[in-house]
Amino acid sequence: MRWYVVRRVAWAVVATFLILSITWGLLAITPNPAAEQMQFQAAASGGSAEAAEEAFEARRGLDRSPWDRYREYMINMATLNWGWSQSRSQSVTDAIASALPYTAIYSIPTTILSILLGLSIGLYSATHQYTKTDYAATFFAFFGYAIPNFWFGIILLLVFGVQLGWFPVVFDSDVPIFGLGMVQQLVLPVVVLVTGTIAGIMRYSRAEALEYVEAEFVKTARAKGADGYRILTRHILRPAAVPLMTILVGDILGIFLAASYLVEVVFGIPGLGQLSYNAIIAQDTSLVLGTTLIFTFVSVVGNLIQDVAYTILDPRIDYGDR
Amino acid sequence: MGGKPDTFESVDWTETGGRLSTLSRRDRGALLAGLALVAAFCYDFVVVAADQPTITFPVEWNVTQLDWLFVTTLLALLFYVVVPLYGNRRLTAYYWREFRKNRMAVLSLFYLVAVFLIGTIGPIFLEQPGLALERAYQPPAYLSVDSTVPVNCIGEVVNGQCQGTMEHPLGTTGDGKDILVLIVYGMQVSMKVGLISTLLVVTIGTAVGTVAAYGGGLVDEVLMRYVDIQLVFPAFFLYLLLTYLFGGSLFMFIIIFGLTGWGSIARLVRSEALQRAEEAYVTAARGSGAGTLYVIRRHLVPNVSNSVITAATLLIPGFILFEASLSFLSLGDPTVPSWGQVIANGRSDLSTAWWVSTFPGVFLFTTILAFNFMGDALRDALDPRQER
Repeated sequence: MRWYVVRRVAWAVVATFLILSITWGLLAITPNPAAEQMQFQAAASGGSAEAAEEAFEARRGLDRSPWDRYREYMINMATLNWGWSQSRSQSVTDAIASALPYTAIYSIPTTILSILLGLSIGLYSATHQYTKTDYAATFFAFFGYAIPNFWFGIILLLVFGVQLGWFPVVFDSDVPIFGLGMVQQLVLPVVVLVTGTIAGIMRYSRAEALEYVEAEFVKTARAKGADGYRILTRHILRPAAVPLMTILVGDILGIFLAASYLVEVVFGIPGLGQLSYNAIIAQDTSLVLGTTLIFTFVSVVGNLIQDVAYTILDPRIDYGDR
Repeated sequence: MGGKPDTFESVDWTETGGRLSTLSRRDRGALLAGLALVAAFCYDFVVVAADQPTITFPVEWNVTQLDWLFVTTLLALLFYVVVPLYGNRRLTAYYWREFRKNRMAVLSLFYLVAVFLIGTIGPIFLEQPGLALERAYQPPAYLSVDSTVPVNCIGEVVNGQCQGTMEHPLGTTGDGKDILVLIVYGMQVSMKVGLISTLLVVTIGTAVGTVAAYGGGLVDEVLMRYVDIQLVFPAFFLYLLLTYLFGGSLFMFIIIFGLTGWGSIARLVRSEALQRAEEAYVTAARGSGAGTLYVIRRHLVPNVSNSVITAATLLIPGFILFEASLSFLSLGDPTVPSWGQVIANGRSDLSTAWWVSTFPGVFLFTTILAFNFMGDALRDALDPRQER
């Protein structure tokens, strides 16, 4: 098993390396929007577009051999020297560090809430299969899965922000982070994200728990007089928890990353998603790259944790298989 | 699957020697149609000038790259879904009986067929809405809004409230574009994105999955390691980065979705095909001298097709949602009226003109919901092997 974990970690490193290389390749073959703008400006002010391009390339070090550029890029990436953000006049790592707390203040409550709620509703549905509550929960899961997050956010803003005036429409980043004001303006984004992510957890925990509801050992426990709560936590949740790990990290991370991006733009939260979005609008390539890669690394690490946790928790896994 | 089932006696064993003759009648039909399409494309590309319409009868239609892909997708659907279903009526009836058990899925199917038909045919007859500022912010029919909101109210003004008219049943945007027409155009965009990307994904995924499973060894290792990397890159950010680098035309979108989204299908096909490759009929086919390609085409692909179709149905809503999200972020194709774009346009007018963002959103939501319901029911109907 240790051998498997080592191999899995090594693979994550290789995957990161390959992703960085592919990104470098993509950047190398596409024209830089900033360079084009520079050429356009030079041509518009009567200068030579080619001279401007050469000057730009020399300044960026693009006139060197691809191998030199590639090596420098990789070294910079490894040493967290991710370049200079032109639109924000600060280094990319600083920009990311300043945006990170705003992403954390809504994503941590969202994660905790969706896991707690999703698990409990899923388990409840499993133990009360084919009741009205179960159908309602299933319908809710489909609803949450299908509703486009950004649109749901807009509608909630319209109803609760504009019409009823219960929550602020514009996010105010000056409000102290641990205060009621912050809680109030985070309610809607958290609701939107939870409805999106909860569906997957609910469906999976229901399906997993259903496998054990009728199992022999659950019947035995019931015959011995264990109460419902004990059966649920000791006999159903335990074996079901292992496969649930896969969905908890993998799928949720995927939905969550994309969803938080849109939700930040809709609600105006100055977190990582909005940073990345503004960078795209401002054509700030190094910041676009930095912010996209952050999300990608989170996903790589998430997948790694998931696989390792899976093997540690479930000794039945065959390590030869993938 | 097509026509009469082959029995041992009815197969002309001397004929199966040649490459082409192993193709079924349906495959030959598909091949012919494909060749005709390629010929038509070459004609359009070489002979007809770029700004000239390709056909002028019955309607004037300048076929774009995307339209060619769409027509190809429709042909593939015809030859590999409709024809086999028609040819094998008993199986179709069985599928339908299983499918019918799920009432929501039947409803979804009708809804999606309607969206598909309206979206494909509608834009041919409806003119793409243009800028008409004098018609801005008209409320939907049977609803009213304060008369200060629209620049001039087309309907009656009663008690200072502008009444909506049937001229614009769902109202108009801030540019005076009719929302119903925008929604019909959006249907076409969504169907194109969903169906073409899915065709690409299914084709590549099935090819890679079966080759990996049947090829084994180094081929399997390299292909699956590549799939690992592709899957670990979160799809949305891959699209974001690629759209940023290569620009966001709808054609580009679909190509990016199609060329990078097949990882999960390839994995599914590989694991299914690995099981099927162990079955006795594959051993028998190999024993009687069938080549690798023949076994893959004739035995592995048809036997994994059910799970592929189910998985593909569940992939379509994802693509539609990604496209809508990207155009909502105004990273999409500005020339194409997609639902996401209309939602984004209406965002700043929410407090006065709520209908602009609401209606396209409702259609986006119901379409995604319908695909999910249908995928769920298809899994139950097509895949008796699968655990419920």
